[in-house]
Amino acid sequence: MKCPRCVQRIHRAAAQCPHCGFSIADADERFGGEELRLRCLTDSAGILRRGDRERVEAAMERVGKQFPQVFVAVYTGSLGEVANMRQFGFWLLNRSAFEDVPVEKPNEAGILLTIDPESKAAGMVFGYLLDPFLEESDTFECLSRAHAYWLEERYADGIIKALAHLEGILRKRSRHARKDPEHFQRKVMPAAMMGDLVRRIRSGHRGASAGEIENAEVSP
Amino acid sequence: MKRVLWPACWMVLFTAVRAAQVEPGLPVWGEGERKQLESEGWVAGALLLTDEPVAEVPEKEPETPLDVAQPTAEEIAETEAPSSDIPEKFLPAYFGERPAGFLADPQGLLGQVEAKNRLNFLNYHAGDSSIDLFVYLFKGDQSIPGEVREEELVERFYSEGRPAVVVFYYMGAPQKSVMYLSPSLTDVVSSAEQKRALESSVMQAFKDVDPAGQLESFLIQMSIRIYWMERMMGGGEVPVDEALLTVRPPKPQKTKPSVLTRMQPLLEPAKPFVAPVAAGIGLMAAALVSLSIMRRRARYRFPDFEVEPRLGGSHAAGIGAVISFASASVPPASQRDQVPDYLRRA
Repeated sequence: MKCPRCVQRIHRAAAQCPHCGFSIADADERFGGEELRLRCLTDSAGILRRGDRERVEAAMERVGKQFPQVFVAVYTGSLGEVANMRQFGFWLLNRSAFEDVPVEKPNEAGILLTIDPESKAAGMVFGYLLDPFLEESDTFECLSRAHAYWLEERYADGIIKALAHLEGILRKRSRHARKDPEHFQRKVMPAAMMGDLVRRIRSGHRGASAGEIENAEVSP
Repeated sequence: MKRVLWPACWMVLFTAVRAAQVEPGLPVWGEGERKQLESEGWVAGALLLTDEPVAEVPEKEPETPLDVAQPTAEEIAETEAPSSDIPEKFLPAYFGERPAGFLADPQGLLGQVEAKNRLNFLNYHAGDSSIDLFVYLFKGDQSIPGEVREEELVERFYSEGRPAVVVFYYMGAPQKSVMYLSPSLTDVVSSAEQKRALESSVMQAFKDVDPAGQLESFLIQMSIRIYWMERMMGGGEVPVDEALLTVRPPKPQKTKPSVLTRMQPLLEPAKPFVAPVAAGIGLMAAALVSLSIMRRRARYRFPDFEVEPRLGGSHAAGIGAVISFASASVPPASQRDQVPDYLRRA
C-alpha cells in the first residue's frame, strides 16, 4: 500500500500517511468535500467521439459482466498537474456516487481509470474489494498497454486495451483466489489477527516439541 | 653590384617572356624534300600539303530548260495511278466460262515453268482429293470488275461436277485472295472454317518472299485444308489452327495426374485412420469452441475480505499506477518505478 501523495509504503490500517501525513481530508481540501454524482463514463475532457463512447462502454460492460462484483469507471478531464493524478483518483473513487452503477455494487468494488489529456497522464485506482487481488504493478501493466494508443491520442483504443488486459489479470486472480483464498487473505489481515496467527503458530510449535519430548520419555 | 645585377635579371626575364610569346612558324617544304618523298612512293596527306594554289571551282552555268512540252495534269494523274482493271480482252477467259484447267491465268502472270508446276500440283491434288481446287490468278493491284459477281459465277460454273474450292488469288498480295465453295460444299463447310482455311493459306504464303513462291505455299496449305474439309464431309472433325484464331479455344486438359492422384499410393494405407482422425479433430474443434464459449460466459468472483480503511478513505485506498504519455521518448518501462511526488516536482 502506498500513499497517494508521497508514494511511500504505508501501514495497512494507517489513518494518515506516517511519512507525509496525507489523508482524505487533504484531498477534500484540494478537490472539494461534497459528494459528486457521476456516470461511469464521464468524458469531461471531450476526447471520446460518439462511436468511441459506445466501444468503451461495451468494454466496461464486459468487465462488469465477467466480474459481477466489480464495475469500471472512466473519467477524463483536465486536472492541471500530473502529480495530483493519484490523489485525484483516490479522492474521486471515495467521494463519487456513480449513477448508473447498481446499488449492490459499492465503490469498494470499483476500478477507476482517470485520463488527463492536457497533462498527458493517466492513473488507475481500485476499491477495497480488490485490494488483496490487485497490485500497483498490475495497474501499471494495464496502463502500459494503452500507452502507445494514447501517444497517438487514440484514447478509446487505449482504454479498451487497458481494460482487456485488466480482465486477464482479474480472471487469473479470481481463479487463484478460489484455489487459495488464504494467500490473499493474509495480505489484508488486520495486524491484531496477524499477531494471533503468529502466536498460534508459535504455540503450535511449542506444543509439538513438548509432545515430542513426552513421546521420547515414554519410549523405552 | 646589386644595381647592375637586378636590371640584367629583369632584361633576361623580359626577353624570355617575349620569346615565349612569339609563335613558331609553320613548317615549309625544303628544296628536294618533296621530290625525295614522292620518289619513295605515296605521300600521306599529299593533297593537303601541296603548295600549289587551289584551283577555283568554276561557277555552273544555269541550266536552260529543254524545249519539251510539259505533261498535263490529267496525264500526270494517269501515270501516277495505274489502272487496276483487268484488261478487257482477258475478261471472257476469266469469267466467261469455266476454265479448262485448274489454273486460270489468261494474263500469263506466271512463267511457263511456274505455271506448269502449279498446274501439276493442282492436278495431283484433284487426283488425290474429292474436292477440286480452282485458282484464278490476278495481278496484286488488279481488282475484279464490279459487274462480275463472284458467288454467282461460282454457282453457275461449279454447281455441276465434283465439289470445288475456287480461289481468286492476287499475285504478290495473297491477303487479297478470296475463296468460294461450290454449292455442294457450302452447306457442309462452315463460313468460319472457310475463313480459317483462307487465313492459314495466306499466312503460309507470307512465309515466302517472291510471288511465285507465295502462290506455291498458298496452294499447298489450301490443299491441306481441303483435305480436312473432305473429312468434315465424311463426318470427321476439322482441326483448329490455333495460331489463326483471334480468340483461342481453351487448351486441351493435360492428362497430367493431379496431386491427389499421385499421392494415392501414400494415402491408401492411411485410409482406415481417416475417419477416426477426422472425428478426433472435429471433437477437438468442438471442445475448443465450447471452451471459448464457456470462458466468455464464465463469471468470476472474488472472496470478500474485511479490509481496514486507510487514509480516511471509506471506499478505496488502493493506489494504482500513474503513467505519462506526453512523449514517445519516455516509454512505460522507464516509468515503472513510481517516484514520489516531491521527487517529481524537484
